[in-house]
Amino acid sequence: MKAGRIASQALRSTTRYRLRALFMMLGIVVGISSLAILSSVGEAAKRETMQRFKNMIGTFDTVIVRPGGGRSRGMPTLVNVPPTLRFEDANAIATELPEIKRVAEVQNAFDIDVQYRDRSTSPAVFGVSSNWLALRSEDVADGSFFSDEHNASLARVAVLGTDVRNSLFRDDDPLGKTIRIANVPFQVIGTLKSRGVGPAGSALDNIVLIPVATASRRLFNRDFLTMVIAQVRDPAGSTEATDKVAALLRDRHHIRPPVLDDFTITNPAITMAQVTRARSTLTRILTGVSFMALLIGGIVIMALMSITVSERRKEIGVRRSVGAGRIDILQQFLLEAVGVALAGGVVGVLVGVAGTQLVARMQKLPPLLLWRPIATAILVALTTGVVFGIYPAWKASRVDPIQALRS
Amino acid sequence: MIQVEKISKRYARGENAPLEALREATFRIVPGEFVCVRGASGSGKSTLLNILGCLDRPSSGAYWLDGEDVGRYSDKQLSRIRNAKIGFIFQSFNLLPRTTAVENLEIPMVYGDGQVVRERALNILERVGLGARANHFTAELSGGEQQRVAIARALINRPALILADEPTGNLDAKAATEVMILLQSLHSEGRTILLVTHDPSIAAYASREILLRDGAIASDRTRDAVAANRGAL
Repeated sequence: MKAGRIASQALRSTTRYRLRALFMMLGIVVGISSLAILSSVGEAAKRETMQRFKNMIGTFDTVIVRPGGGRSRGMPTLVNVPPTLRFEDANAIATELPEIKRVAEVQNAFDIDVQYRDRSTSPAVFGVSSNWLALRSEDVADGSFFSDEHNASLARVAVLGTDVRNSLFRDDDPLGKTIRIANVPFQVIGTLKSRGVGPAGSALDNIVLIPVATASRRLFNRDFLTMVIAQVRDPAGSTEATDKVAALLRDRHHIRPPVLDDFTITNPAITMAQVTRARSTLTRILTGVSFMALLIGGIVIMALMSITVSERRKEIGVRRSVGAGRIDILQQFLLEAVGVALAGGVVGVLVGVAGTQLVARMQKLPPLLLWRPIATAILVALTTGVVFGIYPAWKASRVDPIQALRS
Repeated sequence: MIQVEKISKRYARGENAPLEALREATFRIVPGEFVCVRGASGSGKSTLLNILGCLDRPSSGAYWLDGEDVGRYSDKQLSRIRNAKIGFIFQSFNLLPRTTAVENLEIPMVYGDGQVVRERALNILERVGLGARANHFTAELSGGEQQRVAIARALINRPALILADEPTGNLDAKAATEVMILLQSLHSEGRTILLVTHDPSIAAYASREILLRDGAIASDRTRDAVAANRGAL
């Protein structure tokens, strides 16, 4: 293949002028490596955020209903929500809407005193339905979770998060022991697996779960809910399900426009998409810097290739005299530019991968090797080579061999 | 073989009348001839050489090379002809810098239809007496050696016509003689050579001499006739 032979000539020329090639690569290396670091770290950060969201809410195919209109900040708790969301509302969502697979009722409060003998701690206490673990596709670490019967009989049973378990029991076996939650005795029937940290870094394991009916009647003495978590049957139809839930609640609460809703529905999938889409100013500046470096790298390639073409006019003349067509010359010089840019891209990616591991370690993100940003970086380098190499290559192809050979 | 029919070359010169670098030159060269084109500078030698070498096209007239009417060929077609049928030898050698002798010989093969065969390049270097210098960079070779590499490069694709433009112009007398002896031995092997020079002593190696004056052919004689004419003077 003639193209292959010309490519090999381009490669030889590049190795003949190594220093020049090195300078041509420099900008590309800087641009590509910073791009690779940015996109890899960005992706790693995004995945970490997603993981933390998942840690907190367990699943994305849900809609979360909170009492009170308008957006409230932070986690709802029994002390900061209006008493508008009732057990009957949760029941209606579960039974009247075919789009909803299952509904969990939640009644929670923070900083509740929990004691075991002389040890005490102040975790969050969540009264939840017995379908809680199924909804979150979780499992207990030890013992068992409470059942519908526990809930119906207002049983005083508790399942402990790992932080609570550790601070109250250390190395002892907590199962069957009696703890006091706000001075009400509860029997420990299970412990949870660790859930890691939430989106804001909050500890998700400092928690005690008890049956929601027990919480309502025997602990908190409140007959309203702080949250209703409804799992949709079809994740693709979660927006529609959100609208259905809202319509049902408005009907039940006799709300007609212009009266405002006395509840707020959030869709975690959408919320998370918004959070992960928002990029920090720093990321934007750095992206700008990498593209600037690429632009400069491209211009350096163009400038040095143009100088090369004038320096190698005689070579072009000789090649033309022994039978190279204009297109052959164009091809060779374009390949030289593209080859250098590509080499710069590869080196840039290697530097970028090393840098990514370093940044990941510093930011305590999981180290990540992503093929998509790497492929994109190589493609960007290639494009830079073509875009900035085409003009000098075209100039080379227009060199008049008669003039060039005479000079 | 080579047939040139009334070829002319005119260059536009703005508002002035166009410059006629070549006027209606007509001649034939048969295979195996060793022809010298001689003339003062500005006589049209270079223009004729560029046209014969398919680097340039005549403004008018016809040029038949090896059975093909190349006078109206496109750039791409002319490139193919230069590659397959013409071997150039230049006054300033025109070897590529930072490149070894054998790599220079491979360049015509790059643009041909076949493979790059290093063996062939080495054989031809052997033929011009530079087998031991194959992997030397061109800058490490003497002028005479560089010109022999250039001659080897001109031979590599077995061209129908070898065009030598003042091949001894940059060489000392000894190297010049070596190069001319090499060209003569190529001629004796049956190759067709056209040599452009202004130097009568170099022209004497050829068997026929075409003299150009002001772009027109002033005389076209065999070597015997040239010698006889000189004797008469």
